[in-house]
Amino acid sequence: MSTTRPALDAPPAAPSSWKEYVFSTVIIVVVTAAGLLLPESYYVSVGLIHLLAIILLCLHVGRGPVLMAGILSAFAWEYIFIPPHFSFAINSLQDGLLFGTYFVVSLVAGQLTAQIRAQAQDERRREQHATALLHLTRALAEAKTLDDAVFAALRQTDELFGAQTSLVLADDARRALVPHFASSYSLNEKELTTAEWVFRNQHTAGRFTSNLSDSTSYYLPLVRENATIGVLGVKVATDRPLTITQQNLLEAFARQLALSVEREHLRAASEREKLLAESEKLHRALFDSVSHELRTPLAVINASADSLAGADPSLSGQLVNEIRTAVHRLNRLVGNLLNQSRLESGTLKPRPDWCDVGDIVNAAVENTRDALTGHSLTIAVPENIPPVRADFALTEQVLTNLLLNAANHTPPATPVVLTAGIEPGGQRMFFTVADHGPGFSPAMRGRLFKKFIQDDTTSTSGLGLGLSIVRGFVVAQGGEVVAGENPGGGAMIAVYLPHPPPKAAAQA
Amino acid sequence: MTTSHPSRLLIVDDEVQIRRLLRVALEAENYEVHEAASGQLGLSEAAGVHPEGIVLDLGLPDLDGREVLRRLREWSQVPVLVLTVRDGEEDKIAALDAGADDYLTKPFSRRELLARLRAVLRRTQPSSEETVVRFSDVEIDFAARIVRRAGAEVKLTAKEYDLLRYLAQHRGRVVTHQQILRELWGANAEDSTHYLRVYMTHLRQKLEPDPRAPKFLQTESGVGYRLVES
Repeated sequence: MSTTRPALDAPPAAPSSWKEYVFSTVIIVVVTAAGLLLPESYYVSVGLIHLLAIILLCLHVGRGPVLMAGILSAFAWEYIFIPPHFSFAINSLQDGLLFGTYFVVSLVAGQLTAQIRAQAQDERRREQHATALLHLTRALAEAKTLDDAVFAALRQTDELFGAQTSLVLADDARRALVPHFASSYSLNEKELTTAEWVFRNQHTAGRFTSNLSDSTSYYLPLVRENATIGVLGVKVATDRPLTITQQNLLEAFARQLALSVEREHLRAASEREKLLAESEKLHRALFDSVSHELRTPLAVINASADSLAGADPSLSGQLVNEIRTAVHRLNRLVGNLLNQSRLESGTLKPRPDWCDVGDIVNAAVENTRDALTGHSLTIAVPENIPPVRADFALTEQVLTNLLLNAANHTPPATPVVLTAGIEPGGQRMFFTVADHGPGFSPAMRGRLFKKFIQDDTTSTSGLGLGLSIVRGFVVAQGGEVVAGENPGGGAMIAVYLPHPPPKAAAQA
Repeated sequence: MTTSHPSRLLIVDDEVQIRRLLRVALEAENYEVHEAASGQLGLSEAAGVHPEGIVLDLGLPDLDGREVLRRLREWSQVPVLVLTVRDGEEDKIAALDAGADDYLTKPFSRRELLARLRAVLRRTQPSSEETVVRFSDVEIDFAARIVRRAGAEVKLTAKEYDLLRYLAQHRGRVVTHQQILRELWGANAEDSTHYLRVYMTHLRQKLEPDPRAPKFLQTESGVGYRLVES
């Protein structure tokens, strides 16, 4: 940072350097020497040339050197050129007027040009300040996160002031100060004490100030609505104190930064609020759904048992079937809840082993036999499919859930097709379950595999865990699930599992 | 049931409703039923009444069901049918490794319970020394090492025959992959389930009416196989 030239100009009050005095003297000596080459009678012209030199000098050097050059040239002119030569004596009234006028004009010209220059410098500085602030505001507005914004602001401060900057922000409890990672220097204990003083007193401190001035940096509070939310530290490379304008600019920076930080805090707070409301809504929905799902089969069991006790032998078979169906439904529900919690607790460890694809399919079909009653299920598995490496129970559950999904979300008597096989490349195996139901609504597409998600457009029951578990179990085995359209209308879900070639397949 | 005297059974379960239900179902089949509500009580009852079979719940309040099994197996080879609420195949395999003869997942049907119980009780019955086993239209003659289907001899390779014989000797009961692999290939072959799948496919093709949907040579998800008689 110290190699970067500060973009802000040196302060106007700084005295002109000795170089400007030497430069002015040299110019006057050269002009005087040049005047010696002209005929003696041209002394008035020599005076005007001197005046021209003074005016030109005004454009390049400060007020002090111009005044010096004006006095020097006036006396050189009078001494060397105005007759009698090499004497301060003046012979005629006209020469006296000439010398007097020259003296006054050169001084006034010097003064005026110096003023104009100072004004122009002021103007430029104001413009630089405005540009710097504009850049900062834009950077802050464009930043996507608070960290981005702070990073942009600090880097800009670094560049603008040729300094290193450090930002500490108050934590949520407004007790401790936490350094921001974008700081370009870190605060040691002593500097931190200064920063804490600034934080408590809402007043600048540190180097170039009257408070704790033995610190290496200058510290400004970030204040919003009378509360300090952080402290900005600036460590400049030079020994020159910060000018009033630089301090003003820094303060403006600090204000902008404070505004950004506060905006972020407000945004985070409203985000939290929204999340809370969302989770409350989800909780209520889940609560409703769980009570419905648990109570419905319990009600069926209870009513059927009552009726059984009422002893009408002709109905008992049907009632017993109702009880069985309700029990299966409850059992599946409990299974899904347990599976979901296994997924979420991270305790799920697939145990891949060689499996017969037909076995997996049969087990899943067996599990869903009563749910699929009425649908025609077509199974297409190649006759000679080799054993695949998978976790049997997880894969069985995946297929079971896919079949149940198809059964629950399609009109009665529509066909369901289950296929399995090895992809042509031989690297993956697949299962697909296709139905002829309504398919997935566009709104459902993105949320299909999230838990407790139900298609709002249909009024089917369930907890919305089935597909979430499908994805969890497939991903745990290193596979993927894809939801799409059944070419014949309806939904199709494809499951892909890795299929490494068996080491010993050739021998078996 | 062909037994002349009623078999003594011990039910170890902390749920009184389950005990009551089992008692009703089992007494209807002429079993003599004893109950215990905890693992400790179960162990002392087992020592006291010398049951011919035990139905043991894995989720007991005082002792883990597997611990009960382990202690029981220190002095008794009584057939044990384990009841579990857990679906995970790890739990089933662990129970089988600890010495259980078979398992039943809650909720279960009466039919399943009785079939499993009959199968595990057969292990200690003298009639288990039989030389011919039949299921469906298949007949296995252990003495002659011949398998017939609908009267015609079925050509099996040596390994296919061994696999079928092992399942038939344990018919009605689950046998784990590891048990089969140890029996057929020895102690060092426990990773060769790939072979096992292939032999099972061949067996089904040769013996099942519909090899794609086997009725007799059934797969137990993630655990092993079971030969079901009917």
